[in-house]
Amino acid sequence: MIQLDQVSFAYPSQGPTVRDLSFHIRKGEFVALLGANGAGKTTTVRLIDGLIRPTSGRVLIGGADTAGSSVSQRARRVGFLFQNPDRQICKNTVREEILFGLNAVRAEEGPEKLAARTDRVLADFGFTGDEEPFSLSRGQRQRVALASILAAEPEVLILDEPTTGLDYQECCHIMDRIRRMNREQQVTVIMVCHDMEVVLDYVDRALVMAGGRLLADGPVRQIFRDAALMERASILPPQMIDLSLRLDLPGADSPETMADAILAAKGGKPA
Amino acid sequence: MKELFQYVPGQSLLHRLNPVTKLILTIMICAAAFITSSVFFLLGLLAVDLAIGLIAGVARKTLGILRGLMKIAVFLFVLQVLLSRQGTPVFWIITDRGLLTAATVVLRLVVVCMPLALVLAVTRVSDLSNALVQVLHVPYKYAFTLTTAIRFIPQFLEEMSDIMEAQTARGIAFDQARGLKKLGMMLPLCAPLLISSVRRTDQTAAAAEIRGFSLRTSASAFRRYPFHLEDALVLGFCVLLIAASILL
Amino acid sequence: MIDIQSFSFTYKNEAEPALRDVSISVPEGGFLGIIGPAGAGKTTLARAVCGIIPHHYPGDYYGRISVGGLDPVEASLTDLSRLVGLVFQDVDSQIISTMVEDEILYGLENFGIPHAEIPERIRLALAQAGIADLQDRTVASLSGGQRQKVAIASILALRPRVLVLDEPTGELDPVSSRQVFSLLKQLRKEHGVTVIVIEQKIMLLCEFAEQLAVLDHGAVLRQGPTREVLAHAEELLALGVNCPRVTTLSRLLSRRLGRELPVCVNLEEAEETARRLMT
Repeated sequence: MIQLDQVSFAYPSQGPTVRDLSFHIRKGEFVALLGANGAGKTTTVRLIDGLIRPTSGRVLIGGADTAGSSVSQRARRVGFLFQNPDRQICKNTVREEILFGLNAVRAEEGPEKLAARTDRVLADFGFTGDEEPFSLSRGQRQRVALASILAAEPEVLILDEPTTGLDYQECCHIMDRIRRMNREQQVTVIMVCHDMEVVLDYVDRALVMAGGRLLADGPVRQIFRDAALMERASILPPQMIDLSLRLDLPGADSPETMADAILAAKGGKPA
Repeated sequence: MKELFQYVPGQSLLHRLNPVTKLILTIMICAAAFITSSVFFLLGLLAVDLAIGLIAGVARKTLGILRGLMKIAVFLFVLQVLLSRQGTPVFWIITDRGLLTAATVVLRLVVVCMPLALVLAVTRVSDLSNALVQVLHVPYKYAFTLTTAIRFIPQFLEEMSDIMEAQTARGIAFDQARGLKKLGMMLPLCAPLLISSVRRTDQTAAAAEIRGFSLRTSASAFRRYPFHLEDALVLGFCVLLIAASILL
Repeated sequence: MIDIQSFSFTYKNEAEPALRDVSISVPEGGFLGIIGPAGAGKTTLARAVCGIIPHHYPGDYYGRISVGGLDPVEASLTDLSRLVGLVFQDVDSQIISTMVEDEILYGLENFGIPHAEIPERIRLALAQAGIADLQDRTVASLSGGQRQKVAIASILALRPRVLVLDEPTGELDPVSSRQVFSLLKQLRKEHGVTVIVIEQKIMLLCEFAEQLAVLDHGAVLRQGPTREVLAHAEELLALGVNCPRVTTLSRLLSRRLGRELPVCVNLEEAEETARRLMT
């Protein structure tokens, strides 16, 4: 679905660069980009969406080179949820906001169909449609932004730190909804995220970056268990993974499985 | 776009000049441009602007500013030429006097705008406000307002470009539109941005207050701003400029 | 050091109070973590401690606050600011300069720090925030995370006796976030600085804060030593506040074994508990 062939990029003045990046993401995968601040994660997702053009190499989405179409043309297939929902929200009610986005990418369906789509999404997210986005909380606004993107039913969803500034409950709302899209509609998701617990809970595959290069690529649990890699990429693994390494209890990666493993090792009966 | 108003660190003559000298130089170039009516003198002033950019080591930025101004200039030039009815026609409704007036107006605009942008490129905003307070005894409250306003421009432009990027990503064809059409698409986005910017300015004022804003006096600044020989030379040049603009 | 008694506050032109009958006290050199869902009044509380409320944002208030013997409502903002430093949640609205160095310099100049002392103060503050290499950069050229560190450094340079930080690690990666918390720990240990941190990163907060206060709808729902507050994990989860996975683990183990194990707040404790059980 998404393919990068030896992509390099450098900002004209300062800023993180990306060097010789190659990877392939299949349809329906849920992938996270991990790495320290300045590792080039955001640059990479911006390259994927074509917001910036590679200085060398190619980015392919669904087999087509992104150089061949514009970002706004691709928006129908590729949704991008930014860290800050306020850059996206520009209408006075949630309904108008969703319709505005739909009109930009699916105008040919006609007003009735778009209204029906809007109603469906509003119901799905539990909005009445009359809410004023700017009187909602940050987490609710992020949900408005997500609803407006999902209304267009994109095939690819790009997320740049979607849960920053949200409390735990808001974070779960957003991530649960995204996972449902991923599982039920086979939407390909690629996410930049600093919360390793969230990554462990939701993501299948991780790409680890440092200094603009790809360090590793593999299943999330395997990546997190590679202590040398974590050190090199300045990533702190999730608590349960760290604990399972310390206690030498492989396979235990949630409090539940960890409790089972500890009690089994104790010789007691796991419940 | 947003880079145009940002400070470029450096050690050039222009960087070293007293901020007040730079301010005076800017004002004098503007004054000379308004006093004179000679196209050739205006061309000379344009050369001075370009020389300033070159000496300051910000040649690329200077050309960027010039290119930006040219777009507006071309538009204004055509408008002036078409509207002017005086003089003898040279082609269709275009007259010799019309061409001359249009050239003067447009050149004046470019000559006046360039040094303003250039001074911001080679002067730390805090030096500007410190020097205003220390040398010209401007009350700090006003100097702070000025510096906040100057800082506001690139911040606003940065936010604007982030918003346009987010809108493009959701399918609004900012990347396809140009000129007036793009402007028309941007305007509805400006209102919410202005509201959030004003709210932010209020917070900035609070941030300054809790770091001793009201304690600041003309003696507070860590750096001093004495006048050197090069300042005197530049001020001398300013006098010459004004004299020439009156005489020529 | 900080003593808040039954404090309520309603912003001007708002119907609902932002804080309701809040009572919190933090001893000198204490480290209080504040958690709670969005809109719980955390930022308002931070503003009240440093006097921005009611001096900058007017409104109706009841109750009493004392910070180092000063009453933020009565004392001038300037007197308070010599005592309390606040790091804003919105970094870009806190930074007022275009150069990193000037941002650190600003407060130092205003508070009349002797000029001979200033270069060393700047150097140390930047080093503490881990950005010694950014001194001569323009703010515009920095990333969000770097700007956040500049904002922190500009307050550190003033050496306040009370530090209030409103989600200071929002833009930072886990390693940098941990560095910020380690620095806070060091400041209170070596200089007796009193620290209040509002933070969503519950894992870090539980590891470093000795006291926790849980806010919801403007009221303090629970407060006390971190371990005691975490013992009520179900209550926190019902509020939408997470707790660290090690705490969930110790709770699960207690339940399965049918006896109370100590509540774990960090990895080391969880490891110790597990080892004791396994041998």
